[in-house]
Amino acid sequence: MAERLYDLIFICMPTTPEEEITKIVSTLEQTASEHGGKVEKVEKWGTRKMAYRVAKQREGFYVYLALHSTQGALIKELERRLKVSDAVIKYMTVRLDEEIKRQQKLVAHREHRARRRPRKPAAAPAAGPAPEQQAAAS
Amino acid sequence: MSEQQPVPRPSHAGGPPREGRSGPPGAGGPPGGRRGKRQYFRKKKVCRFCVEKVDFIDYKKVEMLQPFVQERGKILPRRMTGTCSKHQRWLGVAVKRARNIALLPFATEL
Repeated sequence: MAERLYDLIFICMPTTPEEEITKIVSTLEQTASEHGGKVEKVEKWGTRKMAYRVAKQREGFYVYLALHSTQGALIKELERRLKVSDAVIKYMTVRLDEEIKRQQKLVAHREHRARRRPRKPAAAPAAGPAPEQQAAAS
Repeated sequence: MSEQQPVPRPSHAGGPPREGRSGPPGAGGPPGGRRGKRQYFRKKKVCRFCVEKVDFIDYKKVEMLQPFVQERGKILPRRMTGTCSKHQRWLGVAVKRARNIALLPFATEL
């Protein structure tokens, strides 16, 4: 059972009161814990302009969640809840663990290379012409 | 400062619009750089993501993606931005994700 990492973003109607958004987030968190997942991070980006109109709105209240899950059924359930909710006009879930794994691999590779072949100090050639210039000027 | 040795570059750059050519822009065939004596030496563009050693292009950072998208919402081609193929691929994915959640436009309506 590999643990998977997801990003979940949803957009609410700009008219939604803050308490309702908090309520939606808490129900999502509860659903996640019921299905053996965990919400790592909640960010409310606030009302911002959308790039195109959604549900006849030009603005929307963005909420971003980062979550861990071991089973895909959780995502299905979360998306179902968001779909049913009236305040939510758009949502998107992205699975990110594979990309993060790739990123870590690249970082490890680079560090490995840096350790194996340390850069030679570039001070010697850079410092060469400077004294000459000074000598010519004086 | 390498203007002293005009080494003819292979014409893979293909990006800068050449004057004196009447064909459609897509018709730039293999003999691109060999036309008369006029040769353009364009500074080689470097992938911005490689310079900064970016390992992951985040779709949430709109201000990072914006320079690679036209005003109307098109993704700019590699030949204009100089992005390397690896990063262009990641960039495409990031832009498409951002579009899905209305951070970037599919096409801006007038």
